Amino acid sequence: MSATPSGHSPANVHGPVTSPGALPEDVGSETADHHADGGHGGLGQYLAVFVALCFLTTMSFFTYSPYWPWRDEPQVGWAFMMAVSCTKALLVVLFFMHVLWEANWKYVLTIPAAMMAIFLAIMLIPDIGLRNRMVSQERALHMARGSDLLLLEQAAAAGENADASHETGSHGH
Amino acid sequence: MNASAASLGHDSHGHHGPVLQYQPGLPLSRGKLIMWLFLSTEIMFFAALLGSYVVLRFGAAVWPKPHHVHLSEPIGAINTFVLICSSVTVVLALEAARANKKSLAKTWMLLTLLLGSLFLGIKAYEYAAKFSHGIYPSAPRGMVYERPDLYYGSAVRARLSEPVIIERMKELFTKPEAELRPEEVTGRQRLKQVRDMVNDPSQQAFDLAVVADQIMPLPAESADGHGHGGGLNDTFSWLKLPVVIPGGNMWASTYFLLTGFHAVHVIVGLIVFAILLLYELGPKRAGMIENAGLYWHFVDLVWIFLFPLLYLF
Repeated sequence: MSATPSGHSPANVHGPVTSPGALPEDVGSETADHHADGGHGGLGQYLAVFVALCFLTTMSFFTYSPYWPWRDEPQVGWAFMMAVSCTKALLVVLFFMHVLWEANWKYVLTIPAAMMAIFLAIMLIPDIGLRNRMVSQERALHMARGSDLLLLEQAAAAGENADASHETGSHGH
Repeated sequence: MNASAASLGHDSHGHHGPVLQYQPGLPLSRGKLIMWLFLSTEIMFFAALLGSYVVLRFGAAVWPKPHHVHLSEPIGAINTFVLICSSVTVVLALEAARANKKSLAKTWMLLTLLLGSLFLGIKAYEYAAKFSHGIYPSAPRGMVYERPDLYYGSAVRARLSEPVIIERMKELFTKPEAELRPEEVTGRQRLKQVRDMVNDPSQQAFDLAVVADQIMPLPAESADGHGHGGGLNDTFSWLKLPVVIPGGNMWASTYFLLTGFHAVHVIVGLIVFAILLLYELGPKRAGMIENAGLYWHFVDLVWIFLFPLLYLF
């Protein structure tokens, strides 16, 4: 099955391979592989990807700035940021990790792992994501709710008013 | 095949027994294959962490805003930039090593190491800021309370009746006003108010919310500064009163787990780079640099998702 003629070519004769963890250069295909796709990479391309990554980071940071038009609809920002992150991840994987130039084994390793990841997150939803549909009284007693946040905001507003009146009062002092 | 390979090996090194000549089943080196297999397990590892975070976060009744937990978006963005830069430098180190520019490769590698250390330094600074506000994972809770309820009120009361705190408060209240900073003068009045409020048996839920706001206000999302000049915990660092951050405990658990595991990966990467710096980085080491680089890009990749999820969501 693995009887390839290349086994007899001088390039692949390295004598005994005593350590399976030997340097990758031991494998003839590494250099061949690299020569075959010698056209990829290059300073210009890396810099272009770098600039794109910086631009995309600025874009996701833009959602935090006051100029972001959808401040009242956080879902828009979330979707936008996830799209930006996926683009950035794709750029890093394709260019920096050289996956663009790899053979088809890349799909074997990445697609099942990615599917496992997605299924895992989905399987967490019933027990973890929907955990607050039904909670025991014990937990309901201690867990935070939206009303607590409102109460704290009201207290902050009251405190700010008190501060303001205090400051005007102390001016005359 | 095996027999011929074995005899080949036997011929060239007569003193060895029969050995196997390994043939790559995939068009990539063993080291790279192992690194990719490892990375595919890492994909699942971080996907599990990130997935749990997302599910926990969106299933929570309340989740703190980044400002409530003293997260600084600009610092997170700077750290993203630092990691992207380090990804570029490690790629350039690989290119230089392949082109046999050994000293250039070493320079890029050193720069990668420095950038990674800078990332860790910024992360440590951020962690210290959280710790100083009493935000850290702790069971059942640290200083962070979920809601301004009776339990919170009694926790504040308990802290205020600790002998050390009573001593410090006595000192503060008897100090002449001239010796105090202006925020300490108003803080002193607020502290008296808070002490009276938690000790008042007729206190209402709203009073405890006011107490929580006095101790550590939750800054509004739009506010750049801290509401009204920080809370009592900021004015008097020795006070360390319990604070209220709705959803803060779960936030702390997920934040420190995610960023902590990521930081561990950064540390491992830095160790690998430090070891690589001991070698001559020529074409012979290109495979090693490539594998270290693959790992490092993956670490960068994880941060690319962590940054928006933790800082901007």
